[in-house]
Amino acid sequence: MFLEVDLVRDAKRHGKGVVGIYCEFTPRELILAANALPVCLCGANNRTIPPAETVLPSNLCPLIKSSFGYILTNRCPFYMVLDLVVAETTCDGKKKMYELIAEKKPVHVLELTQKVDEQEAFDHWLAEVRKLRKRLEQTFNRTITDDDLREAIRMMNKERGLLKEAFELGKEEPAVLTGKELSDIRYRVAGVAGHLKMLDEFISEAKRRKETGRFAAKAGAPRIMLTGCPTAQGTTKLIEVIEECGAVVVAQETCSGLKPLDLMVDEDGDPLEAIARKYFKLPCSCMTPNTGRTELIERLAREFRVNAVIDLVWQACHTYNVESYLIDKFVREKLGIPYMKIETDYSDSDRERLKVRVQTLVEML
Amino acid sequence: MLTCGVDIGSRSIEIVLFDGAAVVETTVANSGSSPVENAKKAFSDTLSSAGVRREEVAKVVATGYGRNYFKEADTVSSEILCHAKGVSYLFPTACTVIDIGGQDSKMISLDTNGRVSNFVMNDRCAAGTGKFIEMVSLMLDVPLDSMGVVTEVSNEVCEISSMCAVFAESEIIGLTQSGTAVDVVLRGVFRSVAKRTLAMSGKVGLTADVVFTGGVARNAGVVRAIEHETGLKLLVPPEPQITGALGAAIIAASKA
Ligand code: SF4
Ligand code: SF4
Repeated sequence: MFLEVDLVRDAKRHGKGVVGIYCEFTPRELILAANALPVCLCGANNRTIPPAETVLPSNLCPLIKSSFGYILTNRCPFYMVLDLVVAETTCDGKKKMYELIAEKKPVHVLELTQKVDEQEAFDHWLAEVRKLRKRLEQTFNRTITDDDLREAIRMMNKERGLLKEAFELGKEEPAVLTGKELSDIRYRVAGVAGHLKMLDEFISEAKRRKETGRFAAKAGAPRIMLTGCPTAQGTTKLIEVIEECGAVVVAQETCSGLKPLDLMVDEDGDPLEAIARKYFKLPCSCMTPNTGRTELIERLAREFRVNAVIDLVWQACHTYNVESYLIDKFVREKLGIPYMKIETDYSDSDRERLKVRVQTLVEML
Repeated sequence: MLTCGVDIGSRSIEIVLFDGAAVVETTVANSGSSPVENAKKAFSDTLSSAGVRREEVAKVVATGYGRNYFKEADTVSSEILCHAKGVSYLFPTACTVIDIGGQDSKMISLDTNGRVSNFVMNDRCAAGTGKFIEMVSLMLDVPLDSMGVVTEVSNEVCEISSMCAVFAESEIIGLTQSGTAVDVVLRGVFRSVAKRTLAMSGKVGLTADVVFTGGVARNAGVVRAIEHETGLKLLVPPEPQITGALGAAIIAASKA
């Protein structure tokens, strides 16, 4: 496999731009259309948290602390070659962290309006996306045409389509893929032909498993939906614990799973507006009210025939933590299946304790 | 048919030998520094004092933090389910279980069939657990067994407001130094344990009958404090610390 680091350095050598991103709200299409690579910056390592805590307060979510720790210690291999960081006003911790990053690198922040149902909110977001287009044009000294955008849209739709196809293999019963295997298929750089090829192979391999009856979990293994905060590679502790307890994570309603794959960008009409529209509809807990999330959970629960929902809240993630009250009620009352919230961080110290909770839920099913 | 439940906790090990209807033999031992070894010994001690050979035990279920490492066990079960099972055997009308052990506390709600319908657990912090009360016992020089009697004498209580065991310790030192009587401090400690525990009830509710289990349920002072805070009468099993092992033995019987 081609390493993400090599790929990014190679692209840089060949004159391509590199843009760092942290969140699923970032319209990657725009970056691709500017002939730059959108790269998810590092933020999934417990070891960069202590250095981050020399600057940031410790009661922030591990994702924010780890991300900042990488930058502070210069350990993120992508950060060093960045031309620009594109960020959004999502949760407060991240938003303010971007101000600290801006001391070191050029940062462009899109103001994400958060009232999903209001036209004015969308109009403002659209204007912000338009401003990003300008900023990218300035940074890379080129014009982004509508055709560039259309091409990028097709590329990203293809990538999302393949990822979605892979994650939807979770519908198989008995499961042909574990949640852990699925978490490993994401690639940190968007719009890479080699990654699409890899996804293609992954999907065919999974289908072969089905044909040859090589299943990833025992028949009758409880089927779990994971929802909540994202679990980037290296922070899949909870998925591992769930699967060690004999259940299988079949659906991931998170930003590292199906959440950003649910909608494609409309390939007709004004490309910029289509891009803005898709991202604006992402059911993240930073939006209010975030009714899109319960709708998605309901649909996935049905399609993937899940037996229980586990909600992951990274410690000090207030938006997902507070929203969990509504998700709890919705899952128990509307879907009539068990719900459990797990609050944890990146450390491994509570694995055994998490197992007690998860095993109880699994045995209850 | 005989079955056995083995509960390997952070502070103590409990073993219950069960004949399908009633308890045959129980053992309680310290976990010490090698809980799994000690559990093995307690297991064979239980069998020999009951005069039972290993082959006569049809099934062994382990629970508690050491459950996955106890090789004598046929299967493992989560301690939450075991506690619930033990409680509904002892008190068929139970709807809520409060369990305070050495290192964590939990609240479990049971449905009308005695099955777990919801649970919450606090295992992030020592305050409000047996460990904290043990620490207070050492600090104030009041043996665990006499805490109930010592606090029986009056209702006067003081405020312990720290949410963290470490800070609570310095708060307690401050109180004793300023001349607050030991029994008053203890009642303050028990009330804070009660409040911490009951903070979990927001999630699972507090429907009577409420059963109180785990090692801390042996402390009459804590029982009184929870009853005072809730206005409910708590049901406490005669040997509250063995409830998990008992549940494990009953689960073993249902699987054998
Ligand atoms: S959960 Fe929200 S803030 Fe986090 S990556 Fe997803 S969209 Fe961004
Ligand atoms: S997990 Fe929560 S607190 Fe952390 S970055 Fe995402 S939204 Fe913000």
